[in-house]
Amino acid sequence: MNAAMLRLIALRLALGLLTLAIVSALVFTATELLPGDVAEALLGQSATPQAVAGLRAALHLDQPAWKRFLIWAGGMLSGDPGRSLVNQLPVASLIGNRLPNSLKLAGLTACVTVPLALTLGITTAMWRGSRYDRIVATLIIGIVSVPEFLIASLAVMIFAVKLRWLPALAFRAGVQDFWTMLWLLAMPIGTLTLVGIGQMARMTRAALVTVLASSYIEMARLKGAGPIRIVLIHALPNALGPIVNAVALSTSFLLGGVIIVETIFNYPGLAKLMVDAVSTRDLPLVQACAMLFCGAYLSLVLIADVVAILANPRLRQR
Amino acid sequence: MRRLSPVAVVALLVILAWAVAAILAPLIAPFPPGRIVTRDTLADISARFPLGSDYLGRDMLSRVLHGARYTMGIALVSTTLACLMGVTLGLTAAARGGWFDMTASRILDAMISVPSLLAALVVVSSLGSSIPVLIGAAAVIYTPGAYRLSRAVAVNIAAMDFVTVARARGEGTLYIIAAEILPNMILPVLTDFGLRFVFVVLLLTGMSFLGLGIQPPAADWGTLVRENIEGLSYGAPAVIMPALAIATLTISVNALIDRIPGAGQGDSR
Amino acid sequence: MRDDRTGFSGAGRREFIQLAAAGAGALWLPGSAQAQAPRRGGSIRAAGYSSSTADTVDPAKQTLSTDYVRCNMFYNTLTLLDANLAPQPELAESIESDKATVWTIKLRKGITFHDGKALTAADVVYSLNRHNDPKVGSIAKPLAAQMTEVVATAPDTVRITLASPNADFPVVLGTFHFHIIKEGTTDFTKAVGTGPYMCKEFTPGVRTVGVRNPNYWKPGKPYLDEIEFFGIPDETARVNALLAGDIQIAGGITPRSTRQIKAQPGLAIFETPAGVYTDLIVRLDAPVTGNLDFALAMKYLQDREQMRDAIWQGFAVIGNDHPITPSNRFYNKDIPLRAFDPDKAKFHFQKSGVGSSAVPIVVSPAAAGSAEMAVMLQEAGSKIGLNLEVRRVPADGYWANHWLKSAVGYGNINPRPSVDILLSLFFKSDAPWNESAYKDPKFDQLLLAARGETDFAKRKQMYGDMQLMIRDSSGMGIPLFNSYLDGHVSKLKGLSPVPVGGMMGFNFAENVWLEA
Repeated sequence: MNAAMLRLIALRLALGLLTLAIVSALVFTATELLPGDVAEALLGQSATPQAVAGLRAALHLDQPAWKRFLIWAGGMLSGDPGRSLVNQLPVASLIGNRLPNSLKLAGLTACVTVPLALTLGITTAMWRGSRYDRIVATLIIGIVSVPEFLIASLAVMIFAVKLRWLPALAFRAGVQDFWTMLWLLAMPIGTLTLVGIGQMARMTRAALVTVLASSYIEMARLKGAGPIRIVLIHALPNALGPIVNAVALSTSFLLGGVIIVETIFNYPGLAKLMVDAVSTRDLPLVQACAMLFCGAYLSLVLIADVVAILANPRLRQR
Repeated sequence: MRRLSPVAVVALLVILAWAVAAILAPLIAPFPPGRIVTRDTLADISARFPLGSDYLGRDMLSRVLHGARYTMGIALVSTTLACLMGVTLGLTAAARGGWFDMTASRILDAMISVPSLLAALVVVSSLGSSIPVLIGAAAVIYTPGAYRLSRAVAVNIAAMDFVTVARARGEGTLYIIAAEILPNMILPVLTDFGLRFVFVVLLLTGMSFLGLGIQPPAADWGTLVRENIEGLSYGAPAVIMPALAIATLTISVNALIDRIPGAGQGDSR
Repeated sequence: MRDDRTGFSGAGRREFIQLAAAGAGALWLPGSAQAQAPRRGGSIRAAGYSSSTADTVDPAKQTLSTDYVRCNMFYNTLTLLDANLAPQPELAESIESDKATVWTIKLRKGITFHDGKALTAADVVYSLNRHNDPKVGSIAKPLAAQMTEVVATAPDTVRITLASPNADFPVVLGTFHFHIIKEGTTDFTKAVGTGPYMCKEFTPGVRTVGVRNPNYWKPGKPYLDEIEFFGIPDETARVNALLAGDIQIAGGITPRSTRQIKAQPGLAIFETPAGVYTDLIVRLDAPVTGNLDFALAMKYLQDREQMRDAIWQGFAVIGNDHPITPSNRFYNKDIPLRAFDPDKAKFHFQKSGVGSSAVPIVVSPAAAGSAEMAVMLQEAGSKIGLNLEVRRVPADGYWANHWLKSAVGYGNINPRPSVDILLSLFFKSDAPWNESAYKDPKFDQLLLAARGETDFAKRKQMYGDMQLMIRDSSGMGIPLFNSYLDGHVSKLKGLSPVPVGGMMGFNFAENVWLEA
């Protein structure tokens, strides 16, 4: 079984690389389709045809697209994502500056969200139909229904401007102390937790409830197993597939999908980096960010799949 | 026979009310939504302006009513499209497996791996922000999510005894999908539809927040909140009312889906 | 109009203009400095409106106000424009010209770069010449092109030869792109200049930290020990950061946010009235709408008071469809202000033959306030049968793809140091940025004549005539000149308007101090 497992993981890794290749081609094509290019974006109002042509030549943009793609892909394979077209800084260092910030925010948020969401999901499934279940469901509905930017704006208005408990800006360079960092990131983490928790808790509950309705659970129940034992020992392993899936989906977005939080709290993360890069048509940077998000996502999904397979004996045997 | 719970009835009424408001907006709005009708900007609620005025002195009631058309219309169409595509592909992949499953999973994985708001941003800045582009972008962006969910659920169901039994009986793929898998995945898919509708609404408002959603002078609710956001600190109705509109709609949709008989209580199949 | 402007800027500004006009010398002190001695020490966090990986410390690449602020922390120019937009010697000790064609610049003595190297003529030659190298991709290439030769004639003397006479050349040298860098600099991951602050950290899209340059050549300056400068692109976030006390000065505040800032004790608004305008463009070479009657109809449809009050909360001065501000010494007071007049608009609209088909009007966040102005025009137009369709396009690529290309649209023009530069860039028949495709040989002749005219009264007469021509015959609607607005803590002193731009002409860093 272990050998099969390893083969499966190797296969998934290979497919992951294939997916990365597909994404890079997609992103390259998409950015090729964007109106305007980096030369125009850089020159702004001064974008006279001569100036644009000159800068294009200097940036090697006058070469055909396929050639630039191959050059880029070659660099990527040898571990060098190239240099930014906009400021000539190495893409690796531009990303290197932002990645720790994004990882910090994503990691801390996941640490808060995942246990909370799983607890809510499992307990509501255990006591489904109870008053507790209904209250949680209502709360979740309320929370997931409010736009992220409104939550964040309100939080800033209350905690930063009126009460002055927390800073309006979530980033301060050179902060090493964990508690200071937590203080700075409290509002972004809170916002993202509220945004992410609903989906995860509901998926957990829905998956468990589906499994709980199946016949073997009925069997266990008839054999006299208690509700907690039924949920944790009998139902959870079989519901784990959709649950880890939901967790993987939600957490993967914490890296690149937090543009609104990064905007409001002026947090220098990867999402803003990529948005900037799109607006300045800085292709190597856009590409590298896309690769990174895609890679992170694929790793999480792979982990989710492996967990699901390990947990579900039926899938394991296949 | 089951009855709808009181909560579901209220939710349904709210949704219907917004739908009616959206359809009748041009008839019932007191002013054209773009007209500046007062010099008193971000004004409070008054008899003449029941929802106050916005940052340019336009009537908020008229703007919220017209905003309903954009927010609800676009979200409904794109969610339906996304779920139709996602479930179809997901079911097929789960039932057929093999190369179809592999290919579809790879391509959709590739698509899903770029965060939705970023993807929407790239699409909108390449094609320009128009309503068809927004609908298309939202539909495509949420298809992989619907696909992943329906495939995961379907695979799980397909691994259950009754499906194995049906296979052993020699039933065809179509029969298995229609008779065995589909009925068992309606609940998760419905839950998913509700959440996804809310996601689309939130995506649209997020796009509007970043200035890339519906373009003025047209304004969806997200734009309305955004363009009046500085009124938040003194509680101007111009920012609170559209925010409430979003919340009432999304909460109602969620509550309704949640209270559909059986949906909240998965054990009573 | 004059009252309008001073009403917003307060008496301090007027006094200051008189002081500077009295010719206080090369180094001027901010107006409020008269009342209070600057205090040394302290540090601030300052925020501008943009932050991207395109942030630069390469003088040739500066595009946004944040680049100007950053580079002004680290570099100096040969001249610096003062509150009257007159060039004052900066790194240059003296500037002399032979018939405005050959310019001899003598450098101030004893100036060193941050790394200790002395400033020499070779640095100046390198800094100026690189703009003409296409590989550099300098934004200032069009300005630099007039320099046919830049040579060092002595260790402290530079001779610049121009292709044709230009009496305004010292103004050109005061543009920020001509910041002086060290000879041979190609690496712009750090900045080494002669400026008031030394570069401690520069991370594009994140922040810039400058520490006080102890060897700065201006005695006493700068006052702060450290400045952290970064961008908060979202205006709401920027205002919130100021309200929450996270930053001490926020640049690029919209008029709508001034209410909130003023309401909070300890915060103040800093207004810089300037010649920046968002202009309606009706291209006269476009089909259907490209005729003067349509343009006039649009001009008459602009309700300037409403635009000023609703969009700019009063922080604007009403314009007369030409680009000269009422406070300019060449402003023609005798031309009546064009008022909002739907009847005249209707008359011209019907004469234009455009009819009831939809006319797209292109707006963008790139042109501040354009969307709101267009919505107002649309509303007013609907009453005279004009069917305007507002098309909003992203700020991205706006200047390359829409500006100068849309038949009806908007531009956004920053102040230029002289009337001649402004009119040459935007209204001369063959100007690259002739926004409305306005062509009039008489105008071109007048422009040339004014450039060579030394008699002020005659020159004013000429510029006055040209204002009337632009107002009545071009496709431009210039309803307002809006002010630059910044928010700051009241404890931050030393700010005084320099109409080059907001934040004291982007040069607040060396002039501000913190009150104890």
